Amino acid sequence: MYANPNSIINPSLWPNGPAPGCFFNFPGANVTSTSSSSGIITRTQSPVTTGTSILGLVFDGGVMLAGDMLGSYGSMAKFRSIERTIKVNNSTVLGATGDIADFQHLKAIIEQKVIDEDCADDGFTLKPKALHTWLTRVLYNRRSKFDPLWNTFLVAGIEDGEPYLGCVDKIGTAFSDSKIATGYGAHIALPLMREGLEKKPQMTQEEARALLINCLRVLFYRDCRALNKHQIATITKEGVTIENNIELDTNWEVANFVIGYE
Amino acid sequence: MARRYDTRTTIFSPEGRLYQVEYAMEAIGHAGTCLGILASDGIVLAAERRNTNKLLDEVFFSEKIYQLNADMVCSVAGITSDANVLTNELRLISQRYLLQYGESIPCEQLVSWLCDVKQAYTQYGGKRPFGVSLLYAGWDHQYGFQLYQSDPSGNYGGWKATCIGNNSAAAVSMLKQEYKEGETKIDDALALAIRVMSKTMDATKLTPDKLELATLTRHDNKTYIKVLPVAQVKALIADHEKKEAAEAAKSKPSTAS
Repeated sequence: MYANPNSIINPSLWPNGPAPGCFFNFPGANVTSTSSSSGIITRTQSPVTTGTSILGLVFDGGVMLAGDMLGSYGSMAKFRSIERTIKVNNSTVLGATGDIADFQHLKAIIEQKVIDEDCADDGFTLKPKALHTWLTRVLYNRRSKFDPLWNTFLVAGIEDGEPYLGCVDKIGTAFSDSKIATGYGAHIALPLMREGLEKKPQMTQEEARALLINCLRVLFYRDCRALNKHQIATITKEGVTIENNIELDTNWEVANFVIGYE
Repeated sequence: MARRYDTRTTIFSPEGRLYQVEYAMEAIGHAGTCLGILASDGIVLAAERRNTNKLLDEVFFSEKIYQLNADMVCSVAGITSDANVLTNELRLISQRYLLQYGESIPCEQLVSWLCDVKQAYTQYGGKRPFGVSLLYAGWDHQYGFQLYQSDPSGNYGGWKATCIGNNSAAAVSMLKQEYKEGETKIDDALALAIRVMSKTMDATKLTPDKLELATLTRHDNKTYIKVLPVAQVKALIADHEKKEAAEAAKSKPSTAS
């Protein structure tokens, strides 16, 4: 991917050095404030608008990501068409759980990366593992400054012809696996996904989709911050397809057995 | 009269020249020769070693050839201390990229980045340019084997075969005649490198301690960068001299009249 010099390396040619043609302000001359001069608190925040689980599953020939389209404002189902799964390029997809604003911030940066790559026009494009590595470094460095991006990301795609699925959380813990779920999905959906993969390690695309849809349904039943409106992203050698606004059939008859439910 | 315009790098002369940049290239023209040749299965870098004093402690294995990262190696011509700063920076850039993306930096991006820095020193800050030209040999999965040359102005180009340093013009014209694109393998490139170096170096006779040779090749999805050991250089020089002697013997009967 295009290595914009200002993004990797020292942004200035002479860090802390004199500006050409100006007087040099020697460091440590007038120390007045102990904290940053702007007074902005950069400390562990709490998320505001959040997204719930994202599920990722590797099948024979590709990877699939699924998640609902809800942005919860605490317990309020405020934004019901948020795309939490985005296409990065023809071989990579990114899904996010957690604070939507932090996700959108990174989304803009990643989109700019893709544009820079396009401009460089040197044939190099962002691969899923490279995006995963980069994301890990960014998240870890933010957490090390006590100013984390409050998200868990799933990076999915085709890396050198093979399906790749990686996860990284807000403290920079990164790993990759053939089945990953974030948020409540890790507790509710992952056991179902593991069971499915054990029965058939090399699933077809249709089987994977059916498994994920079943998991999404269970999550809608059990996760209070879920919505019955989903995105499913499929990445194969042919490219990326993201289906939006998928609604599932649900059966709430069991609710009648709840004592106190009218 | 030109003197008035060349004490600062960041200004043009009335004729539209950047004198400091040109003087830097002049400095490189007096430095030890480096040449690079692209073969279909790898790249050869050859360098003239100038510091052959017996009193020198063997701290560095190679005087002019530096490995930059897993897939790239470079050789330098010019002011050694400037070269050290640049090669160190090239190595740092490669590692930063590797840390961020988990894969090797594409060759041209590394070259291009350093050249942007070199150019900045010709336009900002009132600092002199780096008096170094570099030859970069590298491999990446997009373009395969590549050979680049950069100079103090910050300009760079991709080459099939090129030379920098002392007598580089003569070497380049020799390469132009003798380099066969598409038909050159590593061994052909090594032989050609020795042939060209023997003609352009000051020494009357090529010896292994005056010549550094390095190759960059790929096996089993891995890049191998090798600075040739003295024994191998000796053997190659011996081969070259044998061939020279054979050529001389062949042409003798026809010239005798």
